[in-house]
Amino acid sequence: MALNIIDLSTVKSRDENFAIFLDQLCQRLDLDYASYAMVGPFAGTVQGYANYPEPWKNHYIRQGLHRVDPILHKAGRSIAPVDWTRFEKDQSFRSVFYAADDFGITPQGLTVPIRGPYGDRGLLSVTRACPIPEWEKLKAAIVGDLQLAAVHLHDSVMRSSVLSRAFNTPALSHREIEILQWVAAGKQQQDIGDILAISHRTVEVHLRSAREKLGALTTFQAVGRAIGLGLIFPC
Amino acid sequence: MIYIVDSLNAHEYGDLLDNMHRLRARVFSDRLGWDVKVKNGMERDMFDDLDPAHVISVDNDGQVVGCMRLLQTTGPHMLTDIFACLLDGEPPLRSSTVWEATRFCVDTARLGRGTCRNSISYVTSEVMIGAFEYGKAAGVTDAVAVIDPVMDRVMKRSGNGPYGYLGSPKPMGKVTALAALMDCSTQRIERLREFSGIRHDVFQPQHVELAA
Repeated sequence: MALNIIDLSTVKSRDENFAIFLDQLCQRLDLDYASYAMVGPFAGTVQGYANYPEPWKNHYIRQGLHRVDPILHKAGRSIAPVDWTRFEKDQSFRSVFYAADDFGITPQGLTVPIRGPYGDRGLLSVTRACPIPEWEKLKAAIVGDLQLAAVHLHDSVMRSSVLSRAFNTPALSHREIEILQWVAAGKQQQDIGDILAISHRTVEVHLRSAREKLGALTTFQAVGRAIGLGLIFPC
Repeated sequence: MIYIVDSLNAHEYGDLLDNMHRLRARVFSDRLGWDVKVKNGMERDMFDDLDPAHVISVDNDGQVVGCMRLLQTTGPHMLTDIFACLLDGEPPLRSSTVWEATRFCVDTARLGRGTCRNSISYVTSEVMIGAFEYGKAAGVTDAVAVIDPVMDRVMKRSGNGPYGYLGSPKPMGKVTALAALMDCSTQRIERLREFSGIRHDVFQPQHVELAA
């Protein structure tokens, strides 16, 4: 699937582009606001980007709401996207979500948690003010795209830190490399499945994994990067 | 019925989780002879501390009769670690739309043959329907599952064999273990429902009609 969003691995000035990424995501998926937070593996540092209105961002920072925000403290402990209705309406919830409401931000939202290999966790959150049935329909339609956007954003943020870069050499399996090599040779997924005597769905799942490991949004990009890294040969 | 228990609601399901860990001890330690840690009759490992989601099947008497543990493949999971041997030294898959399923088991001592409510076949299907519907709603499209050959056969017999495998089967305790691929799709869920006759929402309690 081709994601019509900015490719974060090709851009230089990163903070600005993370913000553009969130704007484009909202536009493409019909959302009000989007935010991303990375809870680092080292000392629980939080790094975030959001396209919320400035007054709300300022309030959030001034009040130190990151210390109690259930999105940061709870959503990351789920493996599945968390609808904000799942949070208990306790004091922490009220101090963040009731306040957000005062700034005109709906408490109707979803957080997609991503876990990285080093204990790092990324949280992509989106909101949309609309009737509940419409919200349910929207979620079902975009949750797959949000998963891909979340992992792309998280890996890009992780990769942009010097310390992480030291760890980050994509570990592709022989099967993934073999399949990318056949793609580079111009073979279709079905043909590759036949050649390797595996199902086309197995080919697809290896390709998807290879794309994500290479931080690529499309298979063509993945092939390009694999060639660049010397993993496969240009044909 | 099926309960999804993760770190967000675990505090509401303490007993259920304990009984699930007891079932896992009976299956993986006693029956399959895997090298797992059992304490106070309960099997637990480090991956239970990494905020997994548990898919738990409970029968009409409130007994835990089946379970499965799910983790994201983007982060630490068993195929990156304990089960790495299954992949013949290859790095594991990593994708936000692929989950890993481990500790998939049913209570073969309590459940019977056939296809009724209290059969191995019914509970196996129920756990898979629960897991796949949960995954599908999360935008997940595939699962890689560590299973034993018996589970592999049960799934194939129910018309729901894996569409592929990774690496090769390896001896583990009294049996072998293998890494199987399954799609989290409407089609697979429908095949499971067709085979098992489960037509209701598995996440809702069923009202049992008592014979007059």
